[in-house]
Amino acid sequence: MAEPSTAALRSFDEEALPHLDTLYRVALRLTADPTLAEDLVQDTMLKAYRSWRQYRPGTNARGWLLTILRNTFINDFRRRKHEPVAMDLEAVEPHAIYRSVQDTDPEGTFFSQIVDAKVVEAIDALPADFREVLALSDIEGMSYGEIAETLKIPVGTVKSRLFRARRQLQARLYAHAVEMGYIKPREAPR
Amino acid sequence: MSRLDCEEAVAHLYDYLKLELTPDLVEEVRTHLDRCCDCAGHARFEQQFLQMLEARVSKETCPNEVRARIVAALRAAARGS
Repeated sequence: MAEPSTAALRSFDEEALPHLDTLYRVALRLTADPTLAEDLVQDTMLKAYRSWRQYRPGTNARGWLLTILRNTFINDFRRRKHEPVAMDLEAVEPHAIYRSVQDTDPEGTFFSQIVDAKVVEAIDALPADFREVLALSDIEGMSYGEIAETLKIPVGTVKSRLFRARRQLQARLYAHAVEMGYIKPREAPR
Repeated sequence: MSRLDCEEAVAHLYDYLKLELTPDLVEEVRTHLDRCCDCAGHARFEQQFLQMLEARVSKETCPNEVRARIVAALRAAARGS
């Protein structure tokens, strides 16, 4: 089968390779495993390269690549990975952590005491659908519209997943901060 | 124009901070935050949270050896091997 030409390789280098860091970070969040993330990014790049002629130059290369990454993850990787048991929060709306800290730490300075590795761990403990939107929006800075297009879901779904993902992440970080003594738990109302 | 109550304003906070609201809603949320200290405090807290997230996690980059491996695999594919 004919592979893309040298010119195609050059345009791939120019348009696709700059997004490698983004693909790697999103792959890390999807797989929550560095070894799997490396394989996922490599498979994604090879697939993208082989179908490069389907990409329209100058359009959204990042979104195009992320769609391939996601499909590859779902088709080839999801079953290889141990998925954390989803917390039963699909139905229950977690309360805003601000309510627990507004009297003691309203600026959320306890966040800055949590080490990077723990922040990553807390994200990776979220259900996969939540990790995904959180990574695309709050880490990669994609707009809700761009995320909806990449994931092929309605913007309203992006919003509601993000809302719950952020609340759930806050709850985890708060629990960690309490455990570590960075912040005192609010006394139970009498 | 309808006025947002606290619960509605808080429900829109993330989208407000992410610049994802329609101009009408931006105005309504802003009006509410100007008048409500409690929600304004909540908004500052959520902003801290979002900034912390981006600052902590977006600096991870693809390790050089992984990058090299991927580029080599692409070159091999280009040669049709």
